[in-house]
Amino acid sequence: MIAAPVLVSVRGAAARYGQREVFRDLSLDLRAGQALGVLGANGAGKTTLLRMLIGCLSPVAGDIRIAGFRPRDALRRTTVAYFAGAATLPPAVRAAAWGALGNGEVVLKDRRPIRSLSQGLKQLLGLRTVLSRHPLQLVVLDEPWEGLDNESSRWLNATLELKRDRGAAVVVSSHRLHDLAGLCDEYLFLMPHEARLMKAPEISRVGPVTAALLADTFDKLRERTHSLSSHK
Amino acid sequence: MSGWLYMFRFFAVVPPVPLLMIGAFGVVSTVIVVVVALNPSRAPQALTPILLLQLFACSSGFDVPARRGHYDLLLTHARSRRLVLFGHWMTSAGPGVICWLALAAICRVAVGRDAGGFVTTGSMAAVCLVSTIPWAMTLRLPRFSGAIGWLLMVAVLSLVAPDAFSIDAERSSADWRSWLQTAWVTLVYPPILVGRRLDGTDALAAVPALLVAMAALAVGFLSAQWRDIPLEAAQ
Repeated sequence: MIAAPVLVSVRGAAARYGQREVFRDLSLDLRAGQALGVLGANGAGKTTLLRMLIGCLSPVAGDIRIAGFRPRDALRRTTVAYFAGAATLPPAVRAAAWGALGNGEVVLKDRRPIRSLSQGLKQLLGLRTVLSRHPLQLVVLDEPWEGLDNESSRWLNATLELKRDRGAAVVVSSHRLHDLAGLCDEYLFLMPHEARLMKAPEISRVGPVTAALLADTFDKLRERTHSLSSHK
Repeated sequence: MSGWLYMFRFFAVVPPVPLLMIGAFGVVSTVIVVVVALNPSRAPQALTPILLLQLFACSSGFDVPARRGHYDLLLTHARSRRLVLFGHWMTSAGPGVICWLALAAICRVAVGRDAGGFVTTGSMAAVCLVSTIPWAMTLRLPRFSGAIGWLLMVAVLSLVAPDAFSIDAERSSADWRSWLQTAWVTLVYPPILVGRRLDGTDALAAVPALLVAMAALAVGFLSAQWRDIPLEAAQ
């Protein structure tokens, strides 16, 4: 079987805000049809990494390529869905008008301004708008399950699996381990000063990755990083 | 959907200029039409309120909404950041320019050929200056801050040095001090050009201001094109 081409390639990437180092020496490859879950505590650099993938941020060191191009150049050639949460939607815009910006179809008939929608409905509007584009080659979602009810969460999981199975590379960050667990082929654990990439079989040798296994792995890595840094 | 069409559609949904400002353009234009219809001799000065509104409209600011993530959808759809910036500038300046052209057309039809002063070279230069410099100056700043800064500067200068805004109509073309004064006034207070026909030394005095406008636009495009756009919440 021929492996799908590498769509996202990160080599030795580092990020910092002022004097604060967010992460360093981060490397990964993600192929079309694969999903990557990004985990980490608040401030570990999940949003920063995801914004680097869409070309809004540049790494202070290392290199990022999307389909062989720098992310900003890749946007001309690659269809990307990116959403960083309900707070990024312009509050004064009408929901129906925003929803139609995806692929022209109405994803929500609500004519109220976005600011008057519930948190969950805002999140759903943002997700439906970006995911309505097709065919998608790269899906980058930052905490997409935040504020969603069970039905909407199930819709999101099904949509992400569908996009992945149709050949999109999916990068998704979340604190909600049970949502990430079944979906991803690889997991990136972002800890202070260290990033660790693990394939699903490394976390669970038999059977699927579960939320409990993910939490256990994350805790072990955090303890190891903590003891290493205290030895230094 | 082509990149251009999508970009204009996006900025129609998420306008860089507040709807209240577009309403203000409509109200002021209506008042101007009435005033000029009643008293055609006031036509040249009638453009000044539009220029003032345009100053605020073009101080729309790009970085602040971009860092809030409001333009993420466009930034991941558009073919290039340059196109996004160009669209932002066009839609910021658009309402004022459309008002100006509409007023010029209405006054030409209603009042007659020479009633305007709306489309003289001086008026064109003034519209060009207020549509470019404030936009470029406010790219990284919050909305309206360029216009507020300009008002502050004009207010302070008019108190400290009232002569700073006067142009000597009888000046000699060889007097470089006078030329410098005219060039300075043109840059700092573009409405002074409204209704004037720029020729000879007047045209020469407007050149530095227009060059500054073009340079500000170019620097704005280039700097914003390569600048990172972090999400405010992620820092």
